[in-house]
Order: sequence, then C-alpha cells, then structure tokens
Amino acid sequence: MKYLQLICIEGETGTPAAAAAMNEHIGPWLQETQSRGIRIVGKQLDEPAGAKTVRVRDGETLITDGPYAATKEYIGGLDILECESLDEAIEVAAKHPVSWFHAIELRPFASELEVPDDLSPDDMRYLVQIFVDGIPETPEVEEGIVRDAEAWGEQARERGVMVLGGGLQPKHTATTVRVRDGEVLLTDGPFVETKEYLAGIAILNGGVTEQAAVEFAARFPTARYHPVEVRRFIDQ
Amino acid sequence: MTAPEAVQAAFRDEWGRIVASLIRRTGDWDLAEEAAQEAFAQALASWPGDGVPRNPGAWLTTVAGNRALDRIRRSARGNELIRQLAEDPLHAAADGQQDDEPPQAIEDDRLRLIFTCCHPALALESRVALTLRALAGLTTAEIARAFLVPEATMAKRLTRAKAKIAAAGIPYRVPPPERLPERTNGVRAVLYLLFNEGYAASSGDLPIRASLCDEAIRLARLLPAEPETQALLALMVLQHSRRDARVDDRGELVTLEDQDRSRWHLDEIAEADTLLSGAGPLAGAGPYRLQAEIAIRHTREPTDWPCIAELYAELEALSPSPVVRLNRAVAVALAGDLDAGLEMVGELVVGDELSNYHLLHATRADLLRRRGDLVAAREAYERALALAPTEAERRFLRRRLVVE
Repeated sequence: MKYLQLICIEGETGTPAAAAAMNEHIGPWLQETQSRGIRIVGKQLDEPAGAKTVRVRDGETLITDGPYAATKEYIGGLDILECESLDEAIEVAAKHPVSWFHAIELRPFASELEVPDDLSPDDMRYLVQIFVDGIPETPEVEEGIVRDAEAWGEQARERGVMVLGGGLQPKHTATTVRVRDGEVLLTDGPFVETKEYLAGIAILNGGVTEQAAVEFAARFPTARYHPVEVRRFIDQ
Repeated sequence: MTAPEAVQAAFRDEWGRIVASLIRRTGDWDLAEEAAQEAFAQALASWPGDGVPRNPGAWLTTVAGNRALDRIRRSARGNELIRQLAEDPLHAAADGQQDDEPPQAIEDDRLRLIFTCCHPALALESRVALTLRALAGLTTAEIARAFLVPEATMAKRLTRAKAKIAAAGIPYRVPPPERLPERTNGVRAVLYLLFNEGYAASSGDLPIRASLCDEAIRLARLLPAEPETQALLALMVLQHSRRDARVDDRGELVTLEDQDRSRWHLDEIAEADTLLSGAGPLAGAGPYRLQAEIAIRHTREPTDWPCIAELYAELEALSPSPVVRLNRAVAVALAGDLDAGLEMVGELVVGDELSNYHLLHATRADLLRRRGDLVAAREAYERALALAPTEAERRFLRRRLVVE
C-alpha cells in the first residue's frame, strides 16, 4: 500500500539541539527506508510563505500569496512510502527524526499510484495540493469533477508536466505520529484540523515555471469550489 | 434451557467468534456483522420448532457462512471474492461439510479482532465502540445509549472506524511478538475503560451499563493469560463482585465500609483470589496488579490498612495521579497516622488538579471528624456538598452530614 508521509512542522522550527538531532538522524533514516524498499521518493519543500493559493471564481483565476490556511503548522516536505500495512508506515514514521520534535501525518492513497521507474528528486519542482471541504456537491457536479480531474491528470501526464499525482483517502483515515519521551503517540486524523483538507496531490516536473504551475492549478476542476495550493520544492 | 435462552447463551458465547472468522475470510466488517445477525435471527425462528442443535456454535457458524456467501453472490464483486474463498473452509461449510478448522485458528480469529478493534491509530472512543459492536454484539443503539450520544453519532463513529481499518491498511492480525506487550497494554486499557463506564453507572441506561462490566470481564478472559492481564481480570471481577451491595434498595450509593457483605458474590472473590495467587511475585508488579492487590485486601476483615498504604505508595511511584495520592492518604490515615494522612489531603486541597473534586473534601471531612476536629469537618462537608455533580452524590453526602 502507498502512503503519503507529510512532514508537519508545528510552529517554530525548534531549538538548535532539535535541528542538530534531525540533521544527524535523517541520513540513517533515508538509508534504512531506501534499502528496505519503503521510501519511493521524497523531497523537502520551500518556505510556506512562497506558496501561491489559486481559486477560480466566475471564470476568473484568483491568486493569493502564501498558503491557503494561515496556521502556525505547515508542511515542510513529503515522502511517498510503500508499506505492507499501516503498522509498518507508523514504525517508519516514528523513526523519522521530525516525529520526535514535530509530527508526521500518514495518508493512504485512494487508488494505485503510478510512479515512474526512473523518478528522481530532481524531476520534482512544484507540489500542487488539492483541497476539498468534504461537503458533497450534487451527484452530477461531483461526477463531473471526478471526470474532469481524471482527464486533467491524463493530459498532464501525457505532456510530461506531471510526474506523479493521485487522490488521497478521506481525512478520517489519516494517522498523525508523534514520538515523545520515547513513546509513539498516535492521533486519529490529520495533524491540523482545517475546514478544507488535503484530498490529493500532483507533483510537477523540473522544467515547469511558477506561472505554468499556477495555470495548471487553476485548470484543476476543484479550483472552482476550493483552494488549490502551489508549493515549490527546495533546490537540492 | 428454552430455545430462546439457548439462542441468548449462544449469542454471548459465539457472536465474537463468528464475526471474527467471517472478517478474516471476507475482509468485510459490515458483511460479517450482517451475516452473523441473520444467523441468530434464523436460530430464533427455527430452534423453538426444530430443537436446539447439539452444537449451537457449529450450526450458527455454518448458517452465518451461508448468509455471507449469499450476500457475496448478490454483490457486484462477488465472483472475484468467491474465487478467493473457493479454497476456504467457509465455502466447505456452505457446501454442508464440517468446519474442520482447528480450534486454535478460531481462537486466534477472536484475538485478531480484539487487537484490530483496539488499534492505537483509531480514536479511543472508536476503539471502545468497535469492541462492543464487533466482539460483544451490542447494537449501535445500545452502544449509543451506554455512552449517552445520539445513535446517528455512534453509527457515524463506527462507520468511520471501519472505513479507516480498510482504507488505511490497519492489519487484521495479532501483533508480532516485538509489538505484543505494548499493544496488549492498549487492549487492557480499552477493556478497563469499558468496565469503568459500566461501573460508574451514575447516569445512562443501567442494564446496558451493567452489561459493559460483564463484557469487559468476558473479553479479558480471551486474552493470553499473562500476569498483568490476569491481574486486570482479578481487579474487574473483584469490583464487579460488589455490584449488588454498592447500591441500596432505594438506589443510593453505599460506601465500601457500609456495604452489606452478605450481598457480595463470594465465588467471584474466590476466583480473583486464585487469579492473584497465581500471578507471581509482587516485586515489579504492574498497575493493575497493585490495584487488584488493594481491592482484594478490602474484601478481608479486619482491613490491613498498613499494607494497603504501602501498595498505594508503590502504585503512586508507578503511575502518579492525584486520585491515587488521595487514596494513599486515606490508607495512611486509617493505618494509624491520621496527621500524615490529613497533611497529604491538605496538599491536594491547595493543589489545582483535585481542589474542585467533591470526594476530596468529603474525605478530608471524614478524617477531620476522626481526629475530633468537628467544626472544620462540617465546613469541609459543606464544601463537598456544593461541589457534588449529581443529586445522588448530594443525597449521599447529606446522609453522612446528618449522621455526624
């Protein structure tokens, strides 16, 4: 099963000691998860302040600077994990040093995620985050959105713009992992409760400009109803 | 035993077993519950006329398996599932053959179900609800009444928990050995919470709440018999053995010292005694063992307060809490050192955590009275009265006030 592992930074990035501990332990974590065939790919995100939030109202694209939810908590990066069960995903998340100081949210993907064999972090430039609010539209509208979203994904993949994309299971299937005093603490649900929640992601390739990424987000069918957020991955 | 009584007994003994094995075979929680429900409905309809089968469990398992297969055949993804089931004993049972799985595999099913219902990635309230639904067979309406929430809320909670198990990949299994101690601890916590919900019984539907105690005890018996689990079982059995003495004929709460001991279930106390004497040395005992050791000493006369005070000191070292400290203070006082006990209670009165807890003030009043400090005792009683949350508790305190 594939899981999206969200690196959740809670408020301040933490003390120098915490930063040092994270720097020291992230290497072994990457080594272990890669050698076990669990971590497929992952990358750190740029500062949330650089995000663009995209909405489409009455055919007009509205772009605001910054993330859609102005919370202290933010997503600092992500990994895609292949695990045999949630237990394995939790075990891996609890070994990730971010969970010792902040939190990690695990979200199962809704359907089989196609990952290109030769995907490298260099191919990842922008993250497009699709938000919904869980209030169902009419069945007709909903069906239309799903149909349009599939076509959007298909086209984006064909043009080579999107390297990876998929829907997530509903937010009540999320598990948030924190490790405190050596104890693994689990929370049922996402790490931050907002009205609109992450329902899917698309990762755009290395050659995409910010303008192209924003245009892309605006063409995603949910942009007419909910925010779509564009975040840049950090250059490595 | 009449036929309806036999169905009731079978429901108690077999529900969890049947649901657990159907979940393993089909991976579908709703299907498993519905098929099990239909099997019991059919038993109710046919046992009075046909007689109770020689092996009710096997009969119900076969019928539930058939019902599950019927539903699968009617469903869209039926063919695929039936192929998967072709090699499975469920299929054999449906063809009228004997269910020849070894009993151990079936026991394991129930353990799988307990560990899955109590998975820590589910919210605690969902773990409790799911355990009652899937293992104990309580209906959604009954669970909702027990926890004083609307039925729709409880239904949603159960649906979401089951959806998470399926969608998030929570495995249906007994955890591997390295995870077992921690996960068993989690299961014990859910069972004790379940028990205490029933035991508190200050509100809600009384018969349903009493059945929560029965279910918690029954489920604890299913867990592997390790010392801390046996201790939890002993603790619950002991507390439950006083159920008929805790409340008097007018429905008023009766304290331990005032209880009519002839109403205690002595056979249950004897069982707890046996469980505890087989639990090994006290050194390194866990919190349930210490609580059970305290509880069993409360059943003996005269009460060994010095020993109880010592056990509370150990419990406080292991899991410190103001309530444990309060109980320890009482034991210290009744062991003969009234001043030391009152001093500990006094510290709690000025602390923040328990200062508004009515029983803290009632306890202080009681100890003050024993010391002959009658004016201060009365003040403390009045404070307790003002803080008591329910009318039953106020009546209880008022009775004590009158006695003094």
